[in-house]
Amino acid sequence: MFDYDHRITLTGTVTKFEWTNPHAYIELDVADANGGAKHYSIECASPNVLTRLGWKFNELKTGDKVTILVNPLKNGKLGGMMEKTTLPDGRTLGDGNPPGGRFDQ
Amino acid sequence: MRTIALMLSLAALPVLAQTQSKGNPPNLNGAWAVYRAGRGAAADPKLAAPAAGPMLLKSPYADAYKKRQAAEREADQRGEPLGNRGTLCIPYGMPQMMSAIYPLEILQTPGQITIITEAFSEVRRIYLDEPQAKMGEVAPGYYGHSVGHWDGDMLMVDTIGIKEEVLGFRSMPHSDQVRITERFHLAAPDVLHDQVTVEDPVTLEKPWTFTFAYRRTPNYHLLEYVCENNREYLDDNGVTRLKLQDH
Repeated sequence: MFDYDHRITLTGTVTKFEWTNPHAYIELDVADANGGAKHYSIECASPNVLTRLGWKFNELKTGDKVTILVNPLKNGKLGGMMEKTTLPDGRTLGDGNPPGGRFDQ
Repeated sequence: MRTIALMLSLAALPVLAQTQSKGNPPNLNGAWAVYRAGRGAAADPKLAAPAAGPMLLKSPYADAYKKRQAAEREADQRGEPLGNRGTLCIPYGMPQMMSAIYPLEILQTPGQITIITEAFSEVRRIYLDEPQAKMGEVAPGYYGHSVGHWDGDMLMVDTIGIKEEVLGFRSMPHSDQVRITERFHLAAPDVLHDQVTVEDPVTLEKPWTFTFAYRRTPNYHLLEYVCENNREYLDDNGVTRLKLQDH
């Protein structure tokens, strides 16, 4: 489903951070060249894994500006799997990728 | 062949015949995580789980299993992974839950041992020093009916009544006659082994034995896990897809 051979870097504004199982999600608006925005849904590991990697349930707020390294969806739709996120304060938190290792935390 | 069959039946006998605990049981209370050799300063390869024995399936289960494995590999390479019940957020059940992808917790109370896993918040209850029910009399479920007893410092557990739909360890297919025997013991003060033997007269040529190893994690509090937001789904071809949030 996700293209682990490719990565894209998305810089945008968080519209929602869902701290849910089986996966957390970051909803992100990314500005395009025409003054509009493209919306991406970015899957993360579970809150259980993210917690062990240093994430907190309130790590992201609506309106936060973040940069996320993403393995895009293979079908070209606007979504992907988070690999790491650079938070507004400059810290970087990962997702435990590669996917085979995501539960290995 | 007859000798092997006799040896197998004798090997299974003590579990079935002796249900009363003896000796002083060790303390297994607390949280445990998978023990991985070579990981962390204290990791000792000698305490890691021994390699699993061969899973010898009867035909046509073996053929179907091989076909499914090949299809999964091919789909993964294509980038369209086939989903399974896990993709749909259906809990693992026994014995897969004991693989503890996330930590598990053991509670020892009088007459009962309870095991709670973090993933899917699964719960199994092992009733101590009670006789096992007859095969076919337990309503099939994810955890079945487990009875156990202490044999010295070894906890022996017998489980029957696992639903056929529950995916086995390494996706092993099983029938309603599957029996899971476990031997829990401390390989070191803070390292627990669960040696699991799966018997199934319908799908297995011979019993299959594998071991899970855990390390004690004294200060760990299990997190909750409620599958409330599953955006992954299976399409008509069984391929995993992601439902995107449209704005």
